[in-house]
Amino acid sequence: MSQSTRLYAELRGDRTIWAIIAVLAIFSVLIVYSSTGTLAYRTLAGNTEAILIKHFIIVAGGLFLTYLAHLTHYMKYSRWAPVLLITSVPLLLYTVFFGADINDARRWIEVPFVGITFQTSDFAKLALIIYVAREISSKQDYIKDFNSAFLPIILPVLIICGLIAPADLSSAILLFGACVAMMFVGRVAIQYIVLLLLLGIVVFAMLVLLGEFFPEFIRSETWVNRMRDFVEKPDGGYQVQQAKIAMANGGWFGLGPGNSIQRNYLPSPYSDFIYAILVEEYGILFGFLLIALYALLFFRATRLVTKSPKAFGAMLVIGLSISLVLQAFINIAVSVHLVPVTGVTLPMISMGGTSILFTCISFGIILSVSKYIESVSD
Amino acid sequence: MDIKNEVLYRVYFLLFGLVVPVSIILMYKTVVIASVEGERWRNQGRDNYLEYRTVEADRGNILAADGSLLATSIPYFNLYFDPHAPSEEDFKKNLDTLAHCLATYVLDGYTVGGARAYLEGLRAGGDRHVVLKRKVSFAEKKFIEEFPLFRFGRFRGGFIAEKASERKRPFGLLAQRTIGYVRENAKPVGLEGQYDRVLGGEPGQNLMICVDPAADLWMPVDDLTLIEPVSGSDVVTTIDIDIQDIAEEALLRAVNHHDAEWGSAVVMEVETGAIKAIANLGRTDEGWWETYNYAVGAAVEPGSTFKAATIMALLEDGMVKLDDSISIEHGRTTFFGEVMEDASPYSPKLDTIRVRDAFEISSNVGIAKMVQEHFGAKTSTDNGPARFIQRLKDFSLNMPTGIEIGGEANPYIKEAFSSRDEWSGTTLPWMAIGYEMKISPLQLLTFYNSIAGGGRMMKPFLVSEIQRFGETVETFRPTVIDRRIASDRTIARVQELLESVVENERGTAYKLRSGRYRFAGKTGTAQVNYSKGNRGRRIGGYRASFVGYFPVERPIYSCIVVINRPRRGGFYGSDVAGPVFREIADNIFVSKPELHRPINTGPRPALVAENMPGFSIGGAQDIKTVLSYLDIPHYGSPSTELAVLRPRSDSLVMEMRSLPDNLVPNVVGLGLRDAVYVLENRGLKVEVEGFGKVSRQSILPGTRARGQNIRLYLR
Repeated sequence: MSQSTRLYAELRGDRTIWAIIAVLAIFSVLIVYSSTGTLAYRTLAGNTEAILIKHFIIVAGGLFLTYLAHLTHYMKYSRWAPVLLITSVPLLLYTVFFGADINDARRWIEVPFVGITFQTSDFAKLALIIYVAREISSKQDYIKDFNSAFLPIILPVLIICGLIAPADLSSAILLFGACVAMMFVGRVAIQYIVLLLLLGIVVFAMLVLLGEFFPEFIRSETWVNRMRDFVEKPDGGYQVQQAKIAMANGGWFGLGPGNSIQRNYLPSPYSDFIYAILVEEYGILFGFLLIALYALLFFRATRLVTKSPKAFGAMLVIGLSISLVLQAFINIAVSVHLVPVTGVTLPMISMGGTSILFTCISFGIILSVSKYIESVSD
Repeated sequence: MDIKNEVLYRVYFLLFGLVVPVSIILMYKTVVIASVEGERWRNQGRDNYLEYRTVEADRGNILAADGSLLATSIPYFNLYFDPHAPSEEDFKKNLDTLAHCLATYVLDGYTVGGARAYLEGLRAGGDRHVVLKRKVSFAEKKFIEEFPLFRFGRFRGGFIAEKASERKRPFGLLAQRTIGYVRENAKPVGLEGQYDRVLGGEPGQNLMICVDPAADLWMPVDDLTLIEPVSGSDVVTTIDIDIQDIAEEALLRAVNHHDAEWGSAVVMEVETGAIKAIANLGRTDEGWWETYNYAVGAAVEPGSTFKAATIMALLEDGMVKLDDSISIEHGRTTFFGEVMEDASPYSPKLDTIRVRDAFEISSNVGIAKMVQEHFGAKTSTDNGPARFIQRLKDFSLNMPTGIEIGGEANPYIKEAFSSRDEWSGTTLPWMAIGYEMKISPLQLLTFYNSIAGGGRMMKPFLVSEIQRFGETVETFRPTVIDRRIASDRTIARVQELLESVVENERGTAYKLRSGRYRFAGKTGTAQVNYSKGNRGRRIGGYRASFVGYFPVERPIYSCIVVINRPRRGGFYGSDVAGPVFREIADNIFVSKPELHRPINTGPRPALVAENMPGFSIGGAQDIKTVLSYLDIPHYGSPSTELAVLRPRSDSLVMEMRSLPDNLVPNVVGLGLRDAVYVLENRGLKVEVEGFGKVSRQSILPGTRARGQNIRLYLR
């Protein structure tokens, strides 16, 4: 048996999704390598290889986590969900008050003794999505009810998102959106969904107001500035203009790997604006390919929903995939100047340890569900 | 089934109502930005932050003939501190240790507490480019770079080191003016100025990208548009650093001793015209400095040293013979009412003497009268003064030498009967003795050099080669100005006269002669700032000079020494300039063995044991090598590192010489360096007397070594 056939036999579940992961991982290593030029120049005297190796190890570790997560039967996640969710609350609280400042945002905590930073919202996000999937699926019989179904589902969502929001509003909004989408698919009444969307807008406005009084904990000034840039400057602020220049440099076929010029001007070319760098180096067509990959991921997820015999599996797949796709689309939308600058990463592509690891676990869980579906239909 | 369908509808709504349309919108926007609006964004990006930056080329070196560095560029660093770059935490954590390091090593006059307060003050202030220290060496920069906080580098530590380079002259004063300089807002001087293009190279251009506009950090873009700077080439001069040192040293002692206004000494190689040394010292408020290139730039009245040209003109025209008799009228005569006197102490006692005697004692009257007699007449067919002037021109005395460095003075020789030159009756006799004309020391030396060289006049030159990375790219050959300035006979006569100035008892330079070698030359003692008034001549000082060449048998170097307005210790050329010439010549003679005549030029005698280098001690292997090379029969292979040679009737035997570890060894026969090495290795303290090889040692060999003082007698 050759290596590839053995690997093929080893990897159970939706092969298309496996392929998507593989392609994204390759993209990730390539683009991070070329976009870290200035980072390396500043901190490591031009030693981009060190960053490449570190990133490569993280991606490889992430893929291994995907493998482990897909081996685990997905119903186990349902059992762990409450524990994970409860654990995430103190973690988030700790982050808000004592977290490490990186890039002026308090989103990370330092893991004692190991010295690596850990973005708690990534963990909370995963925990919440599993929990919401579990709640929705267990309350399917009376899902349209407000008190017995809607409230118990929405309360943890509001708490977790409320804890994430001060430091990382865009992640909170994304997570909130993913949960709303799950509830929508999970047959929660439309009027409640609409209500939720209105509620979200009100909460956002209140947070901005609160930020005026507690700038220590809520970065409302940054949000307001970004919103103002978006509304008042038709060409976008400095960062967006640089991203546009990057994409224009790339044109249809790109400048070629490693030839990005604009990576030197974009503040975080390896995370927030990585899509612009991708287009610059590989061209519009590769941009299309990336967007299509995410859309394809969601399409495969819908296929799993149609096949899934259990509601929990379906909800889990929808929640995880919509969260990934939403995040990806928001990231890309920032680069193409459709939404204000947010600071969300491109899942699986952007550099950043915990983000990639949790994305990989999410993929693993989706694959775990698909593996189960395969085994049932066989 | 209803539930299942509801879920499916809603999922498809998400897919087709959200994901697919958003995907399409994103793709659409990508195309709009990257392609439709592409031109506009590309233009905005193009000249935004890319910039061609000049990359300075490394300046070439100026080398002495032997390759020693006369001028080179030494890199140095200016250190700055950006007090706002470090984070609050880093700054606080490292403040105390950094203050300690800075107070101890960098900031003079600061206590640790003071340095701490200073750093805190900087942090509170607005300056992001604070000078820490200027002009530090690479080693010092590396040391300071490792200070706490600074070791985090530019962005985290705020430590900024900017590279620059500085022109250094490793030999300091030596030939400083000739090496010269190029400075902003100043006229370039010397070789640096003249060869600026060659030394400077081509500055390069590099496309740099601004990585961080706030910190003004630029990163080179790997690009084909990069223009590499071309480093400057090295200029190899003819200057011999040993001779330059000798000349500068001797001149310095003389100008100091005589408290002169300035002095100049030039040494030239007879065969090629290569300048081996050129020293110029002028008095300044801060001592003696190479402030002006007098040798090249100071055209002055030469005085008696010009008499060689005068006599050469007379001889070449066949007017006189050396043994003709002339009257010097006891050293005093008048020309058109103007008194001319001799300076020689012999003159008052002499009346009729030979031409050669007149030259030897440097009789002004004798030389001037001859010129007046033979060139003074102007008839319808013969213009005497014009013939004399033409002779001088034949000797190229009216032409600048064309030396490479700028600022050469033009000689000034009057045209016969020219009213512009204020020609008068007294002009010709006074020109004969080196007045009413101007010529620079270098130009006069060039003339004497051609006498030394048998009549071939060589162009003086300072630069022999242009090198790049040690490879010669251009060679400057010696240039002949005039293959023969006068007939061989005339040249031989003038040589004879110049020799007699030194060799004959009445010669003005007789007291300068040397027993070890022979040199020839002419003294000069010119009056300066004189004026002719009602009460005779007023003299504002003297210019002492000596110009000549050595050794007379086969002249190798010519040399001129001019010392202007000595105020102490005499003023005659033979007293002031002559000794400097002698000192230079002596030292060159000692340091250049190739000048020495072989003592024994006869056939090599048959080798007998008596001439063999017996009892020499040295490394066994070294001795073997030497003996083999010299083809001297030898045998024996001692087991010790050292060997002693013992002569046999027809060969040498190498015997062992052991050096026991704890005992005083036998060092008799060893050179001092080896002896000291051996003895001090055994803990002994060495005292030395005499020079040569060790002939005796105060402690007997075999005594236990206990750190005693041992005295070595060298012979």
